Amino acid sequence: MKKPASATDPLWYKDAIIYELHVRAFADSNGDGIGDFPGLLARLDYLQDLGVTCIWLLPFFPSPLRDDGYDISNYVDVHPSYGTLNDFKSFLDAAHQRNMQVMIEMVINHTSDQHPWFKAARHALPGSAAREMYVWSNTDHLYKDVRIIFTDTEKSNWTWDDTAKAYYWHRFFSYQPDLNFDNPLVMEEVLRAMRFWLDMGVDALRIDAIPYLVERDGTSCENLPETHRVVKTIRAAIDADYANRLILAEANQWPVDVRPYFGDGDECQMAFHFPLMPRIYMALRQEDRLPITDIMAQTPAIPANCQWGLFLRNHDELTLEMVTADERDYMYIAYSNDPRMRVNVGIRRRLAPLVDNNRSRIELLISLLLSFPGTPILYYGDEIGMGDNIYLGDRNSVRTPMQWNSDRNAGFSKCDPARLYLPVVMDPIYGYQAINVEAQLSDQSSLLHWNRNMIALRKLFQVFGRGTQQFLNPENRKILAYLRDLDRGDGSHETVLCVANLSRFAQPVSLDLADHNGAEPVEMLGYVPFPTITEAPYVLTLAPYSFLWLELQPPSGKPA
Amino acid sequence: MLMATADSILGVPTPCAPPGNGLLILLAAMTPEQLERVFASLTASFPKEELLIAAPDAIADALPADSYPSLRIVTAPASNSAWTLTAADFVSAYQLAEKHEARAILMLGSASGSLGSSALRELANAVLDPTDLALPCYELPPHAGLINSAILYPLTRALFASRVRFPLAVDLGLSLRMAKRMADAAQRFTAINQGQTPLWPVNEASVAGFAIDQFDVNPSVQPTAPELNTILPLLIGPLFSDIKAKAAFWQRFRPLPPARNTMPMPLAPTADTAADIAPMLSAFRLAYTNLHEIWSLVLPPNSLLMLKRLAATDAAAFRISDSLWARIVYDFLLAYRLRTINRGHLLGALIPLYLAWVASHFNIIASGSDPEGHIEAVAAAFEAEKIYMLSRWRWPDRFNP
Repeated sequence: MKKPASATDPLWYKDAIIYELHVRAFADSNGDGIGDFPGLLARLDYLQDLGVTCIWLLPFFPSPLRDDGYDISNYVDVHPSYGTLNDFKSFLDAAHQRNMQVMIEMVINHTSDQHPWFKAARHALPGSAAREMYVWSNTDHLYKDVRIIFTDTEKSNWTWDDTAKAYYWHRFFSYQPDLNFDNPLVMEEVLRAMRFWLDMGVDALRIDAIPYLVERDGTSCENLPETHRVVKTIRAAIDADYANRLILAEANQWPVDVRPYFGDGDECQMAFHFPLMPRIYMALRQEDRLPITDIMAQTPAIPANCQWGLFLRNHDELTLEMVTADERDYMYIAYSNDPRMRVNVGIRRRLAPLVDNNRSRIELLISLLLSFPGTPILYYGDEIGMGDNIYLGDRNSVRTPMQWNSDRNAGFSKCDPARLYLPVVMDPIYGYQAINVEAQLSDQSSLLHWNRNMIALRKLFQVFGRGTQQFLNPENRKILAYLRDLDRGDGSHETVLCVANLSRFAQPVSLDLADHNGAEPVEMLGYVPFPTITEAPYVLTLAPYSFLWLELQPPSGKPA
Repeated sequence: MLMATADSILGVPTPCAPPGNGLLILLAAMTPEQLERVFASLTASFPKEELLIAAPDAIADALPADSYPSLRIVTAPASNSAWTLTAADFVSAYQLAEKHEARAILMLGSASGSLGSSALRELANAVLDPTDLALPCYELPPHAGLINSAILYPLTRALFASRVRFPLAVDLGLSLRMAKRMADAAQRFTAINQGQTPLWPVNEASVAGFAIDQFDVNPSVQPTAPELNTILPLLIGPLFSDIKAKAAFWQRFRPLPPARNTMPMPLAPTADTAADIAPMLSAFRLAYTNLHEIWSLVLPPNSLLMLKRLAATDAAAFRISDSLWARIVYDFLLAYRLRTINRGHLLGALIPLYLAWVASHFNIIASGSDPEGHIEAVAAAFEAEKIYMLSRWRWPDRFNP
C-alpha cells in the first residue's frame, strides 16, 4: 500500500534543513558496536531540537560493506547490522511525526559484485538479458580515455572476470560493476526498487553517481544525453505515482554541466553545488571573495522548482575534482599539509579540523551555508565541531561514531570499545571527552546551541531558501556581501543584506546600497536597528571572521 | 720600536694623553702588508695630526721602528673575528675611548687600507662632528656581499628606515655616545660569554635617534668570511634577535631619508666570474623535496605554491619575485620569534631559499639588468611587504593566505 507524501508543500525541499548521517555511525541500540535504526529513532528528538527537517541516510541496504554500503547487494532490504525493514518503517514514521522528511540513497550506477544480478550475469550467455544487466567488453580498449575516479586504488575502469571471460566496466571500485542502462531490464529493476521505498513513504532519493549512468565510446562517458533520458524517465515515473517527492542528483561536475540535471524542471529537483564548496574554503584561506563570486558567476539559472544543495562537508573527501590544477595545489598545501589527509583527489578532514578548530571560522562558514541560495546540508557531527581520525583508512577518517557524551564509546554504544565499527575520536582536542552533545547542550555558548539558533533564524525567513542572490562588489575584497531577495507575490519583498568578513583581521567596507535608499536595516540575530540606508555609501566595520545578516525593512516613517 | 704607551704590568696607572684631534683609531688584526697600507692611508688622511692607534700587540711589534712617527700606538685586545665586528669589539672600543678621552672612534678592518685616504678622512670627520655613526658604502663586485644585498640591507632599510647600504660594515666611525650605546648593547652578550655575537650599529643608532651617514669608498676586497652554511646562521640569527628586541620601534612607519645622489657602481662581472647557478638550483630543488615539511611550518600556502612552481622552472627562466623573497624572509623572522621550530634548523632551512634568490639575482644580472637596481627593487619590496609582516607579527596565526 502506498503511503502518501509526508510533505504538503511540493517545494518543501527549498525550505529544508538536511542532515546527512550514516545509520551505523549515529547510535547503537543493541550493543553490537554498530549504529542501527532503533538507535537513530531514539535520537530523533535531538535532530528535531536542532532544527533538522530532512534526514539523509547513507546506504543501509544489504552489502558486503567494502565501500561503506555503496556496494549494494539488495536494493529492497535493510542490512541486518542496522536492523530490519520494520525498524526502518518505525524510524520513518517517527520522523514523519516530527515533520521531518527522509531521503535515502539510490545507488543505481553500480551494484556490488555480490549482487545476485551480477552473480547471474557472470554466468549468463553473452548477449542475454541477464548478462546485459552490466557493461561487458572483450577488451579493455573501449571507452579508453575515460578518467579514473578512485585514483588511489584503481588503475583501470575495466576489470577482467575469469568466470565471464570478459571485462566489466566500473567507474568506481572494481567490486562495483556498473549497471547497463542500455538494457531496459535495468530501468525496470531500478524503478521497482525506487517504488519499494517510495511506497513506504520515503520522501526523497539521492541518485548517487548520476553522471556516469550511460557510456558511449569516444566520449568522457559523463553527462551524456542518454543519461539525461534515463533521469527523465525516472522522474516521470515518480511524478506519475507519487506527490511531493524529491530527486537529488549527485553530479560532481562544473555548474554548467550540472545544470542539465535539472532539465526543464523534469529531471532532478535538486543537485549538489560541488564546485562552490572548495571555493568557500579557498576564499576563507586567501581572505578573498573572488573564488566564491567567480564560481557563482559561472552558476547558471535553474528552473523555478529546482534547488541547489549546499554543503561544507560530507561523508566523502573534500573533493578537489572541480577546481583548477593551481587551485588544487593551493588547497592541498593550505588544508592538508600531512599527506595522510589526502585521498583520491581530495582531503579527508572534517569541518572543524580544516579550519584549525577556530570557532569564528566555523561560524562564518556555516553562516554562508545557511544564507547562500540553496538548501543547506549539514554533515552529522559538524554541529558540535567533531574532529576526524586521519589514521583510519579511506574516508573512514570522517565517519567515526557520533559523540553523544563523555562516557564509554562517547555514548554511541555500550559495547566493548574494541567492538566498535570504527574507534571513536579520542585526541585531546576533538576527543569525545571534550566534544560531545551532552556537554554542549548544557553550555549555552556552545557551537551546538549556536547552530540551533542560526537554523531557527534561517527558518523564519523564506528568502534564504527561495530568494535571489545579488553580489555587491565593494572595493575591499576581504568582504563578501550579497543581497537575498524574495518577491512574496503580494508586492512586498523580503530582503536581507548579508555581509561576511573573510579576514582574520577587522575590516572596513563601504557598500553601495543606493537602490535601497530609505530602507531600515535590522540586524537579524538580535533585532538591532542599524542606520537607515541613504544614497551615500553604507559604511560598516566587521570584526575578524564576523558576519552580519541585516533585514532591509521598508521605511517606517519615523524621524531619522 | 714605535713609541707605544702600554699599561704598566705593575698596576701603576700611566697617564694617557688624549688624542690630538679626539679620534681613536681601533685596528683589527691584520698582516704586516695590510698594516702598511692602513698606516699609509692614515698618514695621508691626517698629514698634520698625531693619531692614536689601538692595535693588537702583534701589530704593534710588527712594524719597523720610526716608520710612522705621527702614529701613537696603544695596545688593544685582538678581535677573534676578521669579517665582522662583534660585541667584544664594541666593548673594547668604548673602554679604550674612555681611557684615552677620545671623542670619536674609527674602527677599521683588515682590508681598510684599500678604502682610500679621503674616505677615511670623511668617516673620521663625520663622527667627530656631528654624525654619530658613519659607514662606508663599499664598491664590490656584483657577486659579492650578497647576504647583505638579499637580507641585511633590505631588512634594515624596511624596519629601521635607514638607507645604509652595508649595515654590518667591518669599518665604521662612532661618536663617543654611539660607542657607549654599542658597548651597553654588547654587555648583554659579553656578560654571558657570547662576545663573538655580531651587533647592529644601524639598528641601535636608529632606535636612539642618532645621526647616521655613509660615504662612498674605493673598490675594496672584503675579508674572507666563513662558508655559507656557517655564516648565514651566524648573521641572521643575531639580526632576527635584534629585530625582535626592537619590535616596539619598527612597529611604526618612519620616512626613509632621501636617497643619496651617488651610488657606487658595482664592478662589471667578467667572464671568469660569471656564476654557475646550477648547483644553487640543485640545492633549492633538493631542499624543496627534503625540507618541504619544515617550510610548510614557516611559510603560508601562497608562498609554498610559488616555490613549487619555481622548483619546476628551468634554470634560464628562474626568477624569485622580489615580493615573494621579502615575504619569505619576513616569515622566517616570524618563525624565529615564535620558535616555531628549533632556531638552528630554521636558519638552516633558509639557506636553500637564499641560494634560490642568489641564482635568481645572477639570472637578472646576466640578462643585462643593473645589479644595484635589482637590489634597490628588493629593498623596495621589503618596504612594501612590511604590512604583511606587521599583521603577522601582531597576530601570529598560521591560518593565513
